[in-house]
Amino acid sequence: MLTGNNLSKSYASGKALDDVTIRLVPGQICGLLGRNGAGKSTLFKILCGLIKPDTGEVIINSQRPKPIGGIIERPGLYNYLNAYDNLKIFAGIQGAPADAGSINQILTKVGLPLDRKDPVRNFSLGMKQRLGIAIALLNNPQCLVLDEPFSGLDPIGVTALVNLIVSLAANDHIAILLSSHLMSEISKCCHYLYVIDQGHIVNSGTTNQLISEHIHTFSITANNLQTAKTLQNYEVKHGVNDAKVICHARDIPTLLQSLLNEGIEVTACTPELTLEELIKTTAA
Amino acid sequence: MRALLRAEMLKLIKQSKTYYALAAILVIELLIFITAYYQGTTILDLLLDNLKQSFYFEGTLLNGNLIMYIVLNSLWFNVPLILMIVTSGLVTDEYKDGTLQTVMLQAVKKWKFILAKYIMAVLFTVTVIALMMLTTFILAYSIFGKGDLVVYINTLNFFKSADAFRRICWAFASGTVAMVFYSVASITLAILIKDSAKTWIAAALFLIITNLLLKVDLGISALNAYFFPKLIDTWQQLFYFETNWLAIGLNNAVLLLYCLALTVAGTYLFNKKDIG
Repeated sequence: MLTGNNLSKSYASGKALDDVTIRLVPGQICGLLGRNGAGKSTLFKILCGLIKPDTGEVIINSQRPKPIGGIIERPGLYNYLNAYDNLKIFAGIQGAPADAGSINQILTKVGLPLDRKDPVRNFSLGMKQRLGIAIALLNNPQCLVLDEPFSGLDPIGVTALVNLIVSLAANDHIAILLSSHLMSEISKCCHYLYVIDQGHIVNSGTTNQLISEHIHTFSITANNLQTAKTLQNYEVKHGVNDAKVICHARDIPTLLQSLLNEGIEVTACTPELTLEELIKTTAA
Repeated sequence: MRALLRAEMLKLIKQSKTYYALAAILVIELLIFITAYYQGTTILDLLLDNLKQSFYFEGTLLNGNLIMYIVLNSLWFNVPLILMIVTSGLVTDEYKDGTLQTVMLQAVKKWKFILAKYIMAVLFTVTVIALMMLTTFILAYSIFGKGDLVVYINTLNFFKSADAFRRICWAFASGTVAMVFYSVASITLAILIKDSAKTWIAAALFLIITNLLLKVDLGISALNAYFFPKLIDTWQQLFYFETNWLAIGLNNAVLLLYCLALTVAGTYLFNKKDIG
């Protein structure tokens, strides 16, 4: 439903985007990974229509008045107004329902309290992110673009926001594109990943596919891992509470089965998704 | 458009700096009142010393009309500076807080959004001048009473009390056009510059240059007549003994055309520019 075809953009400082193509379908959560300055925000701004690409086109198949909503870099809020008035203003200017019932409904949807009447400058970053998402959701967009939504949030805030994003995609069939430095959170909630570096898309695929093809480090948590004979067959770095095992994703089921046969009960096995690995593997 | 104007109104009402600006204008008024109350008679006596040797002055020249005329003179620099700071903030604050980006991510047309800013700047300016006139009128008349007006523009001009009040009212109206011009110019500067501190400096510079050019002979009669710095003191012409009402009307009409041109140019530039 949202397609960016062959997008390029140059600034005086250099080329920010070079022939980037990206696609989103309804109900899909798409992750965009990249270092600072890789071109993520430029791509997001082009997709949202804030800046015009030098070449390429953005196609949005939507008949709604607001096809795309989002937060780019930080939620821009009127800090001297409360959450209710912020929503009232943003709803009012685009002709979306701005009555008390509709505004309270959207506040509840993003998990913001209805009894906070103080200006949003007093809000925590997590609450501001939620209010930013509430504003982005006004007028029922079919697509949501979130640039670094987890930035500055505590772990509880991150988990709550991940749950909200997953529920918006699953229940409201909104196509969501998000970027983050938190690789573990991205890998948990995204169906599809794009990796961008120096303005180019250098890697893309389903999250599972990228993990299985490019990730070679897995964190395993279990008791008595130090004594596990199975691990002697692998390159292992023992940590305080876990062991980092370097192997192919396809070897993981065998590895876990062997540990179980040894009597070691694995409580967690997490792929160590690092940006460097995703970029390096492609470059190689 | 009405929804955008309502939103702009709400933002203006809820911002503390709006009230700081109004308070600043009231402080200027009060200072003029206090100075006039304690030193006004001495200053007038000094100015009219020679005349008093040849003429007999009946009643007091330090009256409400003179005070209103003195307050009118804050339209030269103080009031436009405050207005330019507040109205440019309508745009620069949106850039600074990132709210412009949030607005542009909604189903809102860019040109309508910026046009609403221009309209709000004009409404705010008219409201401020109307408030200024009303407060000055109430305070000046209740403290100093009515009386004939003496004004020095090239020569001393005397006006009967009723005529003076009529001229002062028209001067406030004409001055409002000049203030609207400054406000519209400050919004256009804000669109070009984006940053609030830089816009304030540019606005102050614009104001100073405009005031300087007012007195400079530009060499071409059309420029001397209709270049905008030559039009901002039109309200002063209401205190010439022989008033050219047609020229005053024409000058204000041309100044309004300048406002329109600045609005069209600013809207076009904003519409063309990338956000972010």
